[in-house]
Amino acid sequence: MTVPMPWKDVAAPPAGAPGAAALPTRAKAKRIIPGSEYWKARKTSAAREYAEVLGVVAIVAVVGWSAPVSYHVFGYLYLLMVIALSLRVGRWPVLVAAVVSALTWNFVFMPPRMSFSVLDVDDTLMLGSYFFAALIGGQLTARIRAQERHERQREQRATAFLHLTRALAEARTMDAAAAAALRQADDLFSARTALLLPDENGSLTAHPAGTFRLGEQERAVAAVAWARGQPAGRGTEILPGDGLYLPLLRAGQALGVFAVQLPPELTELSTAQRDLIEGFAAQIALLVEHEQLRAAGEREKLLEESDRLHRTLLDSVSHELKTPLAVLRSAGEKLTTDDPDRRVNLAGEIRTATRRLDHLVANLLNQTRLETGRLEAQLDWCDVRDLIGAARRAAGDAVAARTLKIEVPPDMPLFLADAVLMEHVMANLLFNAALHTPIGTTIRVTAGLDEEHRCVRLEVADNGPGIPAEINATLFQKFQRGPAARAGGLGLGLSIVRGFMEAQHGQVSAGRSPEGGALFTLQLPYAPHGAVPGDET
Amino acid sequence: MKPDAAKPEVLVIDDEPQIRRLLRLILEEDGYAVREAETGKAGQGEILRHNPDAIILDLGLPDEPGVDVLRRLREWNATPVLILSVFGQEGSKVAGLDAGADDYLTKPFGEAELLARLRALLRRIKPAVAASKFRFGRCEVDLAARRVTRDGHTLHLTTTEYALLRLFITHRDKVLTHRQILRELWGPKAEGQTHYLRTYMLRLRRKLEDDLEAPRHFQTESGVGYRFLSDPADAA
Repeated sequence: MTVPMPWKDVAAPPAGAPGAAALPTRAKAKRIIPGSEYWKARKTSAAREYAEVLGVVAIVAVVGWSAPVSYHVFGYLYLLMVIALSLRVGRWPVLVAAVVSALTWNFVFMPPRMSFSVLDVDDTLMLGSYFFAALIGGQLTARIRAQERHERQREQRATAFLHLTRALAEARTMDAAAAAALRQADDLFSARTALLLPDENGSLTAHPAGTFRLGEQERAVAAVAWARGQPAGRGTEILPGDGLYLPLLRAGQALGVFAVQLPPELTELSTAQRDLIEGFAAQIALLVEHEQLRAAGEREKLLEESDRLHRTLLDSVSHELKTPLAVLRSAGEKLTTDDPDRRVNLAGEIRTATRRLDHLVANLLNQTRLETGRLEAQLDWCDVRDLIGAARRAAGDAVAARTLKIEVPPDMPLFLADAVLMEHVMANLLFNAALHTPIGTTIRVTAGLDEEHRCVRLEVADNGPGIPAEINATLFQKFQRGPAARAGGLGLGLSIVRGFMEAQHGQVSAGRSPEGGALFTLQLPYAPHGAVPGDET
Repeated sequence: MKPDAAKPEVLVIDDEPQIRRLLRLILEEDGYAVREAETGKAGQGEILRHNPDAIILDLGLPDEPGVDVLRRLREWNATPVLILSVFGQEGSKVAGLDAGADDYLTKPFGEAELLARLRALLRRIKPAVAASKFRFGRCEVDLAARRVTRDGHTLHLTTTEYALLRLFITHRDKVLTHRQILRELWGPKAEGQTHYLRTYMLRLRRKLEDDLEAPRHFQTESGVGYRFLSDPADAA
C-alpha cells in the first residue's frame, strides 16, 4: 500500500525495533497490557537480571573471603564473571555488574581488606577492563537480542499471513472469507476487529462476523477513513480515538474499512505492529476486490444467461401455450353445436388441452421455484409405494397406453424424502418415458437399497429406443428437448428432476436399460428411522 | 329462512368471479343452493346470516389469509369447510386442514372430484343410521364386536391397527393430516413422528388392500396426509 501516513513520522521510538531492548524502560512499560499478547514487547524481567548480577558478585566475595590466594586472582575472577554475565543479561545490568564488581574487589579483597584502597596502575587497568568487557559484551548481547526479537516478529508476521492466506483460500464464500480474516485478526492482535463494507445503498455496514461493535461515533470515524482513503482514529492525525480505521485501498479506491479496537492502554503502535495491521488490511482489500470482480462477472453472466433464457422461454412458452389455448377457444365456440357426438369429442379435446396446460404451468412454476432458490425440501419419512402411486396418478392418461411394472421389495424400508417433490420427479420421469416411447412400451419402476444400505435407489426404465447419444451431455439442462420429441413439453422436465433431487441431497443419472431403452436412476441418502412404538395384539 | 329447505346450501368464498360463476353452475346443476362472497369479511357475514350447510373457501383471499378466516370461524362454528388452494401450496393446505378445514381441492380441479368431496362432507354431518357394521371393498368391520373380516374370513388387527382403521372410518372420504392422525393415536408428542404412521399404514394396507402398489381405499395425499375412501368409484 502506498498510502501517505502522516502518523508514521510522529510515532514514538518503536519497542520492537532493533536496539529497543536497551532503551530506558519508559516506552517498554507502557506497552505491557495484560491479556493482549501481541502488544506486549517481550519483557525479560529486569529485576531478575539485577538480582542475578548482585548475587553472583556476592557469592564470589563470600566464597573467596578465606581463600589463601592473592587478591589479583579475584580481580581476574571478577573480570571473567563480568564477561560471562555480559552474555546473559542486558546492557544495564552488566554495567551494574562491572561497577559492583569493581567496588567489591577493592573493598573486600584489596589490602587492606574491608576498606577502599588507593589504586595502582595494575589495578586501575584491571578495573578499566571490567567496564570495557561490560560495554562490549553488553552491546553484543543487546544486538543479538534485538535480532532475535526481530526474527521472532517476522516469524509471527509470516505465520499470521500464512494463517490468513490459508483461511482465505479455504473459505468458499465472501462471508466465510471475511469471517476467517476477522477471526485471524482477532487472534493475532488480541483485539476486537470489524470489517465495514458499503451495502447496496452505499452506506458502510459492519460485517456480522466482526467483534468490534461500532457505535455512532466510531461509524463516523470509519466513514471519514473510507471517504478520504486515509487511515483514521488512534495514532493518526484524523480524529484520534479508540479504534484504528484503515481504508481497504485497491487502485486508489477505498472498498471498505478495516477497524481495529486497540487496547485502551496502548498509546502508540510500533512500526512492525502498524505494518502488520496494514498488511492485514491489504490482504482483506484484495479479498474484497476479488469478490467484487467475481460478483460483477457473475452478474454479467447471469444477465446474459437470463437474457438468453427469456428469449427461449418466450419462444417456447408462447408456442406451448398457444396450441392448447387455440384448441380451447375453437372447441369452446363449437360447443354450441347440436350434434351430441361432436359435443362429446369437443369435451375430450378441451380436457386434453387443459391437462396439457396444467402440466406446462406446473413445470414452469417448478422451474421458477428452483431458479429463485426458494425451494426447500420438507424431508419426511416416505413409503416408496406412495410416491410411485402418486406419480402414477399425476402422470395420468399419459402412461395409460404403456404397461407399468412396479417392483418394490417387500422389506423396502421407509426413507427420508420430500413426498411432493418426489411425486413431481417420478411423474416427470413417467411422463418422459411415455412421451419418448411408442405405445405398448413397458415402463419398469424399481426401488431398493444399495448393497451398503447407504442410499435408496429408484429406477425408471423402459424398453423403448433409448436416449440418443448426442443429447446425453445436455440431457438435464433446461429447454433441452429430445430430437424426436413430439409437440408438447418445454424441455423442463429433466431439469426439474435434477433440481428437485439435488434439493433433497439426492441425485439423478441417465443410462441405458438392460432392455436397451432409457434408464433413469434416482438416488437418495438412506438412514433407518427410529423405533416405532410396539403394539398389543 | 332458506329459499328451498330441501336444497343444501353452499357458500362459496372466492375473489375470482369466474371461479364463483363456475362453481355456481356446477353446484346448482347438482341440486345445491349457492351463495357467494368475495372477501373473508363478506363471507363471515353470510355465514352469520344464512348458516350454510357447507363452505367452499379459497385460501388466497384479497383481504386476509383464508386460514385466518377459517380459524376465526372454527371458534364458534362447525360447518364443514372445503378449502381451495393452488398448485405448490402444500404448506397452506396442511395449515388449513389443521386449522379445522374438512377437506381440500387443488385448482384446477375436476367437477366430479368437487362434487364427491362435497357429498362426503355433507354425509358426515348427517350420519347414516348408526349402523354397527361398515363395509368397504371386500372387507367388513363390525364396530360393535370390534371384528374385521375380509371375504368372510376374520382378520387379526392389533390394537393400534384397529384404532387407525376406526379413525379412518369415522372420517371416511375426508382427508386426515399426518398431524391429526399421529395426535389421535400416539398423543401430541408424536406429531412429528411420521414414520410411526407410515409403518402402521403399510401394515394396515397389507391386511386390507388387494394391491399394495395401487391401494384403492387408503389413499395417500402427498405431503398432506391420508384419505380413506369407502367407495372409490364414487370419489372420481
